[in-house]
Amino acid sequence: MKKFIWLLTLIVALSMILTACGAAAPAATEAPVVTEAPVSATEAPVATEPPAAPAEPFRVAVIMPSAINDLAFSQSMFDALTRIQEEMGGTDAFEFVYSDGMFNVDDAAAAIRDYATEGYDLVIAHGSQYGSSLQEIAPDFPETSFAWGTTAETFGVPNIFAYEAASQEGGYVNGVLAATLSTSKVIGIVGPIEVGDAKLYVDGFKAGVATTDPAVKVNVNYIGSFSDVALASEAATTHIAAGADALTGTAQMVVGAIGKAEEANALWFGTQSNQTSLAPTIVVASQVYHWEVALREIITLINSGTLGGQSFKANLANGGEVVEFNPDYALSADATALAESTIQGIIDGTITITLP
Amino acid sequence: MISELFTVTVLIGILASGIRLATPYLYASIGETFGQRSGVLNLGVEGQMLLGAFAAFYVALTTGSLWLGILAAMIVGALMGLIMAFVTVNLHAQQGISGIGFYLFGLGLSDLLFQKLMGTVETVKGFPPIKIPWFSSIPGVGEIFFSQNILVYGAYLLVPLAWFVLNKTTLGLKIRSVGENPDAADSLGVSVARIRYFTIILGGTLSGIAGASLSIALLNVFQQNMTSGLGFIAVALVYFGAWRPWGVLGGALLFSMVNSLQLWIQVLGIPIPSEIAVMMPYVLTILVLVITVSRVRAPSALTKPFERED
Amino acid sequence: MTDSNKLPSGQTRIDSIEMRGITKRFPGVLASDHVDFDVKSGEVHALLGENGAGKSTLMKILYGMYHPDEGQILLNGKPVSIASPTDAINIGVGMIHQHFMLVPSLTVAENVALGLPSSRGPLTDLDRVSKRIVELANIYGLKIDPSAYVWQLSVGQQQRVEIIKALYRGAALLILDEPTAVLTPQEVDEFFVIMHQMVKDGYALIFISHKLHEVVEISNRVTVLRNGKKIGTRPTSETTKQDLANWMVGRDVDFAPDRGKVDIGEVRLKLENVCCGNDLGTPGLREVCLEIHSGEILGVAGVSGNGQRELADTIAGLRKTTSGRVYLEGRDVTGLAPGDLTDRMLSYIPEERMRDGMIKDFTVAENMILREHHKHQFSRSGFLKLKDISTHTDKLIAQFHVKTPSQETLAKNLSGGNIQKIVLAREISRNPRAIIAAQPTRGLDIGATEYVREQLLDQRKRGAAVMLISEDLDEILALSDRVAVIYEGRIMDILPRQNATRERLGLLMAGVHPEEKAPA
Ligand SMILES: Nc1ncnc2c1ncn2[C@@H]1O[C@H](COP(=O)(O)OP(=O)(O)OP(=O)(O)O)[C@@H](O)[C@H]1O
Ligand SMILES: [Mg+2]
Repeated sequence: MKKFIWLLTLIVALSMILTACGAAAPAATEAPVVTEAPVSATEAPVATEPPAAPAEPFRVAVIMPSAINDLAFSQSMFDALTRIQEEMGGTDAFEFVYSDGMFNVDDAAAAIRDYATEGYDLVIAHGSQYGSSLQEIAPDFPETSFAWGTTAETFGVPNIFAYEAASQEGGYVNGVLAATLSTSKVIGIVGPIEVGDAKLYVDGFKAGVATTDPAVKVNVNYIGSFSDVALASEAATTHIAAGADALTGTAQMVVGAIGKAEEANALWFGTQSNQTSLAPTIVVASQVYHWEVALREIITLINSGTLGGQSFKANLANGGEVVEFNPDYALSADATALAESTIQGIIDGTITITLP
Repeated sequence: MISELFTVTVLIGILASGIRLATPYLYASIGETFGQRSGVLNLGVEGQMLLGAFAAFYVALTTGSLWLGILAAMIVGALMGLIMAFVTVNLHAQQGISGIGFYLFGLGLSDLLFQKLMGTVETVKGFPPIKIPWFSSIPGVGEIFFSQNILVYGAYLLVPLAWFVLNKTTLGLKIRSVGENPDAADSLGVSVARIRYFTIILGGTLSGIAGASLSIALLNVFQQNMTSGLGFIAVALVYFGAWRPWGVLGGALLFSMVNSLQLWIQVLGIPIPSEIAVMMPYVLTILVLVITVSRVRAPSALTKPFERED
Repeated sequence: MTDSNKLPSGQTRIDSIEMRGITKRFPGVLASDHVDFDVKSGEVHALLGENGAGKSTLMKILYGMYHPDEGQILLNGKPVSIASPTDAINIGVGMIHQHFMLVPSLTVAENVALGLPSSRGPLTDLDRVSKRIVELANIYGLKIDPSAYVWQLSVGQQQRVEIIKALYRGAALLILDEPTAVLTPQEVDEFFVIMHQMVKDGYALIFISHKLHEVVEISNRVTVLRNGKKIGTRPTSETTKQDLANWMVGRDVDFAPDRGKVDIGEVRLKLENVCCGNDLGTPGLREVCLEIHSGEILGVAGVSGNGQRELADTIAGLRKTTSGRVYLEGRDVTGLAPGDLTDRMLSYIPEERMRDGMIKDFTVAENMILREHHKHQFSRSGFLKLKDISTHTDKLIAQFHVKTPSQETLAKNLSGGNIQKIVLAREISRNPRAIIAAQPTRGLDIGATEYVREQLLDQRKRGAAVMLISEDLDEILALSDRVAVIYEGRIMDILPRQNATRERLGLLMAGVHPEEKAPA
């Protein structure tokens, strides 16, 4: 009996620590309050204005598969929410809480349900793996709005929004640049699993390379995991050994690959977030998601009583995607011009990307 | 295209990256081998690795000293081991469950510290490759075996060392007997508790180094949950290796080589769906396990708490 | 110090050790109740008592494994504290446990060296250890290969390893807790030769056994315990077997129970050309053919390790046959799982009851219903009927005189003999159609032995078919209707009881057909 009590104490202590860091228990997750900044006057590149702050703050909860600072997928959502909060005038108008590191789908489902129960206006399940959970949970909370991505699928449920990024667009731009800059004419791609956002990006990238220089060889490696940094790094090493001098990759485990690219002085093209800080000498450009484009519309719809049923796409044209160049990388004027005209072409529709 | 697999570049690539990939497994699995030979199953390896990886990374980042980083990883791993030992040896806790508890603890704590202390993914300059004079210039072999970083060499030196300790020293004799028949060991004045404390703490220390080998030698970044199941594979490799250091080495190499082979298969565009390719190391390892496992026996007292009846 | 003070191993002898007023309480039991006990150099002091009388407990206190609640220990007249086995070893006390304390996966030399400092510092010095083992073994003619793995050794050889282990550690006093229980009659004889020699050389020996003829043969003094209390100590020369039995149990003991006359019925259990392998891969049974009838006890005699265990396991469904058939009541049951055999009312009392017959960490009550817990008698739609189980357990505890503080006591906390009784009670009480009983009285005190033998005869009277596997010829001859002799996995011959003389059985057990021997 004494042993049992000891053990129980230990387990409770463990779970308290776990709770504190927000990996398992959403209820206790503190909302990371962004230091107050006056609403930026220069902001608002898009037509939809942020809704005027109502008396009650708009409350959002988000579940993310990896850490909010993964320099990839999860961070892109976290940054977007932070920007929305700034736009809308801080925590008085817009509050958000998050549970990150929810790579376990069952834990995530529990968290989604908890948040819905707690009456958040919008619960975001940021990851395509959460779809089936959401489809089950959303009908139980008809008053709450849910959103998930990246996908176009709302399951026909009236309180589910969907959002996705046309990541093939940034991928295409990166591909065009990579094909231009590669001298070995071999390019390597490190992907997680051959589905969704990652597949779109990879296919767009390949299309960009192919139209620019069909002689360039693109090797693709899906490592079967979103978190295995070691294997991602080894995949990059493999690409380099196979002759690649330019690499790209998508999902949070690519931080391992970027290091190897840097060691071998190969170029890196990022996506999802700006990855320049990881290897300032070799990162050429990153496609960055600005989910706030979709989020603004979703919030406006919710405030006007529509809780779901629509899907949104972030792309270069609506500012949901931005290709950010590394200012420290000396990109030639020609290359810069080529990139810029490619972006413009995609935006005005003169360039169409054909995916396999 | 299959023929491309047999070019020198590819073979060297497979061997070299297999050897690197096996490094963290070796530290963690050898540590686990000591624990299991003494009768303690530690499923918390993954958590210990994560904390070790973070400690090493953070200390290396802030002090600029990689060796201090290693030391930090060892201390953190040893501390985790100490708590684990207390829980399993003194409190007789169920080893499987408490191991999972330690995994979750390590996962959560490493993430918490990462968020609070670093906030974003950063990189350090890790241990550089050390080229062993003359040997490293042997074509092919040199690149595979003699231009790795210090922690890679260390991992491979650990194997004969562990074999020696287990089989040729009085300590090893005590460890083996405590794992097979603790009552007998106890009746001869061997302190079962002390031996198990030792092996669990050693296991934790080595798991800490395993984590460090990722964060400051092989990858040079820290990210939440960066071990992604590696620690659990390390535990499985102990079974695979039939609780013997050389067997563990074989298992770690097999698993890693097949993994790097699989990467090459994709890079060379050999038309195997990536979903199938990534399963290869697991499938093959399980196959070998199924074929060999019937012939080996786990330490008899594995997972059994020991208590003298007084 | 004179040479006469030294033992052949080089160790100084212990003139006397005395335990005074030793008291030890376990939850619910007073295992030792102010016991005085002493032993001197050059004598065998036998310790007698029923199962659970407190013999092992008293000895574990002397060996530092248990701590007495009261009392003191004097070495050569001076008080000593023995807080751990290490302390005991240091003053020259060694113990051979009722359940061996060996590590099967290690070699003999490694087992001996375990826990001792090495001449090479942190490295093992197995070569030196092996040399010394051979030296010590030679003194007493204990043939043993230091590099053999313990799991490869027979029980008798393992015991030698235990003795050498103690001698190696400089034991001058040896506690032998039921050393003969697991030995074959030949091995017991060899063992006694060794004991005689050791006593002559000046060792002090404490000998525990339930076999009174052994006690009478080997000991100089006898002490009897009952319920944790000492009844008395006497010189062996002044007692007889009957006296001791009386003294121990407090009543007359019947060594040869009445077999009565029973009509033999139809064939219950039949083996047809059964072959199987053993653990080392070589054939364990070769073409075994047997029939046992309702109302019959078939004794299976043989030196241990000749296929008895394989025979029992095969019938009980625990080992696969490689060829041949097994029939129970005319139905082919070859290859059936133990559970199916249970449902067909086959009972099995395995030889290694601690390992194969029970779960040490379960309570007495749980162990009592281990085999039939799913039957309507003990459970209803998945729920155990706790009240019925408890009544049933109480009944068995009383019938079989299981000494336990309660039904809820964990089986592992009972004395060696009482652990055995749980299995016996469970297997016999279900009124089976056939019973396989392997060494059913090993480790039981005389009262319990008598009871179990009566039970087996009762079952025979009821019409059960009983296979009695035993190395104790007295037991075989006292109970069997027919005797089969097994040698190297083959049935040498099956004799009706009246033809089964000791001489004849002895020859068969050695693999010789008396008829074959005659012409030579
Ligand atoms: N560790 C223990 N915990 C609780 N009770 C115990 C323990 N060890 C022994 N006992 C109890 O003490 C009593 C004496 O046991 P002990 O083993 O000394 O008997 P024994 O004389 O050696 O019997 P046997 O002939 O059956 O070996 C028994 O009733 C037993 O149940
Ligand atoms: Mg006993």
